[in-house]
Amino acid sequence: MITRGIVTDLNDIATRVSHTQQKLASGKELTRPSDDPFATGRAIGLRTELEGLSQYQRNVSDAEAWTSVTDSAIGTIADIAQSAREALLRGSTGTTSPSERAILANEIDHLIGAVKDTANARYAGRSLFAGTATATEPYGTASDAYLGDGGDVVRSIGPGVSVIVNARGSDMLGDGTDGKLLNTLRDISAHLRGGTAADIAALGGSDLASIDRSIETVLSVQAQVGSTASRLHAANSRLAEIQEGVSGLLSKTEDADMAATMIEYSMQQSVYQSALRAGAGIVQASLLDFLR
Amino acid sequence: MSISTFMGLHTSLRGLVAQQRALDATSHNISNASTVGYSRQEAQLQATDALLDRPAGMLGTGVDVVGYARIRDSFLDLQYRAQNMQLGYGTARTDSLEQVELRLAEPGDNGIGARLNSFWSSWSDLANAPESGAARGALVSDARTLASSINALDDGFETVSAQAAQQLSLLTATGGELQGMAREFAGLNGAIRDAQHVGAQPNDLLDRRDQLLDKLSSLAQVTVTDNGAGSISVTLGGAAAPLIDGSTVNWPAPAMPNPGGKIGALMDAASPTGTIATYRSELGAFAQALTTRVNAIYSPAAGTNFFAYDPATASLSVDPAVTPATVRAGAGAPGDNSAALALSELRSEPGGLNDSYAQLVTRIGTEVADAKRTTTNANALANSIEDRRQSTAGVSLDEEMTNLIRFQRGYQAAARAMTTTDSMLDTLINRTGRVGL
Repeated sequence: MITRGIVTDLNDIATRVSHTQQKLASGKELTRPSDDPFATGRAIGLRTELEGLSQYQRNVSDAEAWTSVTDSAIGTIADIAQSAREALLRGSTGTTSPSERAILANEIDHLIGAVKDTANARYAGRSLFAGTATATEPYGTASDAYLGDGGDVVRSIGPGVSVIVNARGSDMLGDGTDGKLLNTLRDISAHLRGGTAADIAALGGSDLASIDRSIETVLSVQAQVGSTASRLHAANSRLAEIQEGVSGLLSKTEDADMAATMIEYSMQQSVYQSALRAGAGIVQASLLDFLR
Repeated sequence: MSISTFMGLHTSLRGLVAQQRALDATSHNISNASTVGYSRQEAQLQATDALLDRPAGMLGTGVDVVGYARIRDSFLDLQYRAQNMQLGYGTARTDSLEQVELRLAEPGDNGIGARLNSFWSSWSDLANAPESGAARGALVSDARTLASSINALDDGFETVSAQAAQQLSLLTATGGELQGMAREFAGLNGAIRDAQHVGAQPNDLLDRRDQLLDKLSSLAQVTVTDNGAGSISVTLGGAAAPLIDGSTVNWPAPAMPNPGGKIGALMDAASPTGTIATYRSELGAFAQALTTRVNAIYSPAAGTNFFAYDPATASLSVDPAVTPATVRAGAGAPGDNSAALALSELRSEPGGLNDSYAQLVTRIGTEVADAKRTTTNANALANSIEDRRQSTAGVSLDEEMTNLIRFQRGYQAAARAMTTTDSMLDTLINRTGRVGL
């Protein structure tokens, strides 16, 4: 009876030692759901959250790259529009000769080409300014018509939070008929070439006003992109913070406390050894030893 | 009435014989010290009928062995069998549920939780690059992996269930363990009845029968009815008719409405309405919900379903129309990612698919932990009852050694009494009446 008790107790201790050993080897507090069902459920939830957070971070990086390429392309367009404005100012004075104005008109035509080239910019093979028609260049050489669509390029940066990262060519440059930059530049070029008194008057009056308005439009689109970029930046650091918190929580739920487990392990081992020794002592002794 | 001169010799002889029988019983105990199921026996000594010695009174005539008692507490047997049934149930249930749990591979990087997460991430990656062939290829391959791991888990559950059914049939089929035990039991019943009929006390047969009852009790709930004359009948699992009635076996075994024990646990694991079956149906509901939710978003955009789930075969598959070339992130232009975005949002939906999967894992974990706890408790209780049983019925070598000395000395003393009588008679016969010789 004593022997059976000793064997049962030794088995109990050995099971505990092996469980602790398993924890040490895997570094995990939870090796199977039944170790702690509710902690396991929580760990699965936290893993999902963590995986989602790193995905959102990837989405934010992609959106940041998109906005930064967009921003620099818009910057280039604004610079070009500024040069066009300077050319306009030079051509609008009465002292400019018709041949000089023809040269300026050519310059404007080149600038129109440069604006369209810049607006056809691509990022990772995708047209930046064509809405969701990313395979299409928004402007062709033949006409000033906008060839993209009105779609938004959306990136998800948090649960239920998404941002529009693209700027459409139609909003910024127009389609050549709506008084936006391309239309304005075409008008300026025509007026420079025309050379009539009315044309020259228009250059200094309505054209100057409309190029200022067009530049304003481009800059306001750029400002929008800039504000998206700063929102993305804020989102990125917020996501990193949350990620740190969640991974800390997951580690607390799932990972073994090595120091505590080590101590537990050596304690259990010494208990096991003393139980073995005590058991051996008890099992050996019997009345037979003392009878002659 | 005068008393025979030689009576003292007979009294000593009875003492010698009785002490020898008691010594024999002790050495039988010592020999069986480690025999499983053995109950300690004791020679029951009783003074023989006295002689009337007028006017002095009654003169004792020695001792006789009136029987060999089997020291056992049948109430403890009942308690032990009840716990042993719980233990048999818990052990078998823990065994199958632990296999279910192992197949989940949670928490970890290989379970369905991780697969589901990479599936949602693939949608998100596709939303970031709807035109990219690589993102589409990754999505389709992740979706196929997810579908096949859900199917593999269901197959795993089915295998555990099938193994339980196989074990059950090995136990309870004709020619199986249960029938063998029942036959042995019926045989012992007959032998015990015959022995008791001729007035013998078949202690060792009773031990074997009790041990067999212990074994039966780990298989199922055991109800014992005494038929009298040393024969008992045994009913398993609350059945309407007994399995063993005296020396006959009712085979095939009567249906058990409330089996308990190992048979109960195996029946539950193998049953199409049992615990494992409910896990399977919950997993099926999860696969169905996954299919419905994903298709509801995907098919309006792409014109085809994404997943197909067949409840009859419990198999989830990616629709054949979905290939890396045809999978779409949205309905419109190449850059449209609205469907992919909406699908990737399913990950963090409260009470959504990830949550229902986590609930399934938690439920399985809780039930495994419960089964383990029940087993540990039943084990501890059965052990403590077994300890108490052993303290009554078990052989203590210390006690037997003490008895050995006691009976040895008793034998020596009886022999000495006989020698004394002998020398007394020697004096009487050889030394008296020799005047003049």
